[in-house]
Amino acid sequence: MAQGPDTLKVNERFGPHRGYASGTRLASNIEPDRVVNTHCCFCGQQCGIQLKVKDNEVVGFEPWYEFPFNRGMLCPKGVKRYLQGSHPDRLLHALQRDPAAPGGFRATEYDAAVRVAADAIARIQTEHGNDAFAVLTGASLTTEKAYLMGKFARVCLRTANIDYNGRLCMVSAAAGNKLAFGIDRAANPWSDILKAEVIWISGANVAECAPITTEYVWQARDNGARIIVVDPRITPMARTCDLFLPVKPGRDVALFNGILQLMIEHDWLDHDFIEKHTAGFEKLAEHVSTWTPARTSRISGVPEKSIRQAAEWWGQAKTSFLMHARGIEHHSHGVQNVLGAINIVLASGRIGRENCGYATITGQGNGQGGREHGQKCDQLPGARDIANPEHRAHIAQVWGVEPDDLPGRGVDAYEIIRKIDRGEIRGLLSICFNPIVSLPDNNFVRRALEKLDFFVSIDFFLNETARHADIVLPGSLHEEDEGTVTQTEGRVIKINKAIDCPGEARQDWRIIQDIAAALGRPHGLAFSSPREIFDELRVASRGGVADYSGITYEKIEKQYGVFWPCPSDDHPGTPRLFEPGAWNPIATGAGPFYFPDGRARFNVAEYTPPTEDVDQEYPVILTTGRVVSQFLSGTQTRRIGPLVDQYPEPRIEMHPQLAESLGVQDGDWVTAESRRGDCTLRAMVVTTIRPDTVFIPYHWPGRKSANQLTISAQDPISKIPEYKVCAVRLRKAEHAPEYAEQLEPQQG
Amino acid sequence: MAVPENMDFFIDPSRCIGCQACVQACGECDTHKGHSMIHLEYVDRAQSTQTAPVICMHCHSPTCAEVCPADAIKRSADGVVQSARKPHCIACSNCVLACPFGVPKMKVELELMMKCDMCYDRTSVGKKPMCASVCPSQALFFGTHEEIEALRPQAQSINRFRFGEQVVTTRVHMMVPESRPEYVDVTAAMEAGPTGRRIALSVIGTSPRTGE
Amino acid sequence: MNFAAAKATLWGVLVTAALAVLIIAGSRNLAHFDAALVGYTFASLFAVFGITYRYAIWLQRPPTEMYWRRGWQVFLDRRYLARNLREWVKRLISMFALNNFIMRRGRRRWLAHWLIMWGCVIAAMITFPLVFGWIHFATPPGDFEHYRVYVFGFPTITFAVDGFGGFMLFHGLVWASLLVIPGVMIAMHRRMRDHGAGAVQQFGEDFLPLILLFAISVTGLMLTASYTWMRGYAYDFLAILHAITVIFTLLWLPFGKLFHIFQRPAQLGVTFYRDIGALGEQARCVRCDDEYASKMHVEDLIEVEQKLGYRYAIADDPARHYQRVCPRCRRSMLAIAQGRLWDRARGHGDSGGTGDIADLLGGDKEE
Repeated sequence: MAQGPDTLKVNERFGPHRGYASGTRLASNIEPDRVVNTHCCFCGQQCGIQLKVKDNEVVGFEPWYEFPFNRGMLCPKGVKRYLQGSHPDRLLHALQRDPAAPGGFRATEYDAAVRVAADAIARIQTEHGNDAFAVLTGASLTTEKAYLMGKFARVCLRTANIDYNGRLCMVSAAAGNKLAFGIDRAANPWSDILKAEVIWISGANVAECAPITTEYVWQARDNGARIIVVDPRITPMARTCDLFLPVKPGRDVALFNGILQLMIEHDWLDHDFIEKHTAGFEKLAEHVSTWTPARTSRISGVPEKSIRQAAEWWGQAKTSFLMHARGIEHHSHGVQNVLGAINIVLASGRIGRENCGYATITGQGNGQGGREHGQKCDQLPGARDIANPEHRAHIAQVWGVEPDDLPGRGVDAYEIIRKIDRGEIRGLLSICFNPIVSLPDNNFVRRALEKLDFFVSIDFFLNETARHADIVLPGSLHEEDEGTVTQTEGRVIKINKAIDCPGEARQDWRIIQDIAAALGRPHGLAFSSPREIFDELRVASRGGVADYSGITYEKIEKQYGVFWPCPSDDHPGTPRLFEPGAWNPIATGAGPFYFPDGRARFNVAEYTPPTEDVDQEYPVILTTGRVVSQFLSGTQTRRIGPLVDQYPEPRIEMHPQLAESLGVQDGDWVTAESRRGDCTLRAMVVTTIRPDTVFIPYHWPGRKSANQLTISAQDPISKIPEYKVCAVRLRKAEHAPEYAEQLEPQQG
Repeated sequence: MAVPENMDFFIDPSRCIGCQACVQACGECDTHKGHSMIHLEYVDRAQSTQTAPVICMHCHSPTCAEVCPADAIKRSADGVVQSARKPHCIACSNCVLACPFGVPKMKVELELMMKCDMCYDRTSVGKKPMCASVCPSQALFFGTHEEIEALRPQAQSINRFRFGEQVVTTRVHMMVPESRPEYVDVTAAMEAGPTGRRIALSVIGTSPRTGE
Repeated sequence: MNFAAAKATLWGVLVTAALAVLIIAGSRNLAHFDAALVGYTFASLFAVFGITYRYAIWLQRPPTEMYWRRGWQVFLDRRYLARNLREWVKRLISMFALNNFIMRRGRRRWLAHWLIMWGCVIAAMITFPLVFGWIHFATPPGDFEHYRVYVFGFPTITFAVDGFGGFMLFHGLVWASLLVIPGVMIAMHRRMRDHGAGAVQQFGEDFLPLILLFAISVTGLMLTASYTWMRGYAYDFLAILHAITVIFTLLWLPFGKLFHIFQRPAQLGVTFYRDIGALGEQARCVRCDDEYASKMHVEDLIEVEQKLGYRYAIADDPARHYQRVCPRCRRSMLAIAQGRLWDRARGHGDSGGTGDIADLLGGDKEE
């Protein structure tokens, strides 16, 4: 399929174009007006950074050495993040779709655009019911905004259908943690990594996706730790780790079960801990007894000897830290994988103590905070359950509405797309989400979005999804607003405003409130600052598991962040969960875990093959992921020139054995084809990937998008899509794809 | 203003994850704004993810300065080998070809060699250089000997390197295992490929299996 | 005194003597020599000695000597001479007249340099011939309306005393200082504000030359102001002050930053060396086999390094001199050399050998 003239015209007007430093940003004689302590706008590490501001422009950065998590360290995205401001693609006005206008949109007055949006929302909800209008949000929003979006959907729109892009991210970990621990948060601060004897990293390309964590792991090794890495690719960390388990994509739970079986066989168990603090071990032990090393090896693709070695190290360690990320979570059995990981942690008894830890590495900036306060379809603030009458009553009271007026559970983000496709959802508001790039099987997503009666998007750049909008409202960049974010450790940190919004752009929470006002339903949506929203959030979260009630902006600043739960003003926060005596509103003294009996749960983690396994027709496994210089759907990072230059276009990574069988050499064009779509990219032939697997990074749109191929199969519990495994076939392309000549590398 | 005597640069390429934070941050320093001076390359990407970060090692007796026909390269009293002096450098590239570490960069369009100067605007006032500030693996570390010894009990620092018959001593130190050799023998790596765990994934069968 | 210094001294004496002879000859046995300027003359003679001495020392350094020799060799190479001459004219304009390469380093920096450079060139072209008595003006017999210019005592053009040309010519130094002063101010401003420059600049190296040029220009302008508008108020004092600034600058010329004026033309030689090198055989890296420089350059450099006492040769294999490894491979080798030490320490096996997964698979290699 050729690039339609539309795409090229939209690209021309709205980008993505590459922004580079120029003018003041290149000058070496600038005294900044001020230097603002804040955080990076990208991943869940949320590194501290100081932004240098001159004349309402972020002109550069200075390492923030005092912030304890990263002590000045930054990845390339953090270093160049400042280039997202003053960008030629920045939306400075509201846009209204107009096929006659260049790029398909004409600028319109902000108030008029809000009016159009509100009228459309009212019309759709009157004609088709409240649930016919859906809201898609994102986990890069501050917690205040996430909270506001949930409230906006439930109180103003009264739609059940709100969900967010964290659905693509950490929900498997969240669900697994809730099932096992009763709480969804990293159990430990990262400082517990440093003195652990064994570090187990499963499905996490730490070096590229959470680069700052690298230093923690290396420092642990300096202190004598052994590093075990489980990945289908020899990632930069795997290169020098102590034991590398080249797992076959989609088989992590088999490996965990096999490890547990060996732990039981060799009695590498903490019986005391299992006895006192857990439930369900016997049933699990019976289940894993069939996972002999031979069977585990056969299924997981990991040599038996390596499995035994890993089990020995893990089993005999005195202290340890297990971390995982999307590699084990992005599966149609992602929750099972997570439970498998938690099982080997619980069986070792190494949790809730110093240097004994477990955590998922959060992906998005506010992946943690964004999933706690009510923008998930099944959740209310404070990590409360929307189906729980007590929880509903508490929130209804805070919001000044009747509990019965709160809608019930909605559907997950992908199901929202399916409902749009089926005509059940007719209108959509999207903020901080770019599903046309980021959802699997995205050709389907695009077709579905084209069916909407009305689509309003809030963003600072015209992302690929917003191109399908009827109205685009110009939102705020990270540095143009303040608020809190909860980073990977569960540490609530403060984003500080550095500059004012340019042009007609305004802070996202104001836009949402403007829409509510235009709808004539401003109830509870008349905040005048993020601090006011946060203060209400504190009240709303009080008594919940994710209790923020004792956190204030001042406390965050003073302590360099506050770990939730923090239930009162004099409470310092809770860096390490599950410690004796730690605040726990569920167990209330019965034990360290967040169940009424205080016991953690062993869960049988069932192995099932991926939804779409390879076969004769589609014989190669496709797995997807990130590169260090790009972030998620690339709305920001594909506009930052130096980051584009670092890794300009997606390549299809394959082993020379596979390449040889295809007659492909490094740099050749290769077409990958799945049952859902195809994609032609250049080959990158490397020995650092399993020969039965290919890898494509997913940050690009259109014809370069890996998600044309991926499958929309989802985990039945978490609803996370199976990004990490689908079946493809490959062939050498006869010629370069048409886009190669038409598009700049960052465009799709 | 000078770089404090007790502050040293310690590099440990084996920690490097190739993220290029250093490359991106390098050009943010005021002595070479907009020009990244650090080198970071894959050793052999087809075979390994190993990367080689290289900053100026600031030789005690810098070959680059000695082979400069224009007296453009000076070593300041604090041991930092400065970037070429602009009025003097005639862009001949002798330094580029002579440096045993492969550090200087020729900017032909500027008729000027530029190289890592340890972010002199920062280090000369006691701040850390940009690359070592941001490096997420701390393959690039800037601090005191006491600090690095406390942080890396299994490593020692060395500042002697051998190239051919030439032994070069440098202001920048390299982290090596405890069994400290007399020098790092760079020439001995002539035939060697990437290091780290050489994991032959090719032994894993490629035939499709449907699993259980 | 070592050989190099002796040689340099000899050159210094010779060139200084030659200048002295030229002064005597050009001023027709000092007939046109202005005795009031004798201080300038002796300072110039000292400067010429110093510059020649330093230049000669400089040329004897192995790398410079190599470039000097090769630069002329490639420039005069018959095969390329025509091309070289064409390029020479082009480069003279772009590099020296226009300073294009400085423009690419920064516009303000370029403006400062260009103004200062042209101001100094104009001033030098006027001052030195006048001081040396090589030029003098006289009214042609019976014609008080005109001046005639005598060069080395030979009559050349005439121009009207009150004409525009005369005005421009007689005020040449004023124009020169009006170029130098803003140039110096821009440069000073940059040096005071730029953080990068601030870190590495030194008073003697970077500020002193600017101060000297500023002082010369300002005292010169004051002289003009004095005799033009103030009926010679404080003229003698100003004349001495001006002389002091100029003489100090001349005496300092061989030692400081301004010596780059004399070194800089080497840049031209380098461009031809580069051009001709690129046309010839290229050196291939003994490790990766990629081309990385001209073979001439690599071999020349090996010779220079030997003269300097470096021992980058690889003893057991002279063909694989370390200088025949490309810079990229050198960087890789450094990482590999260090990585091998860690591999050994961590028991990761001898790197470069076969992998441990293969070992591990041993008995249970999959079907």
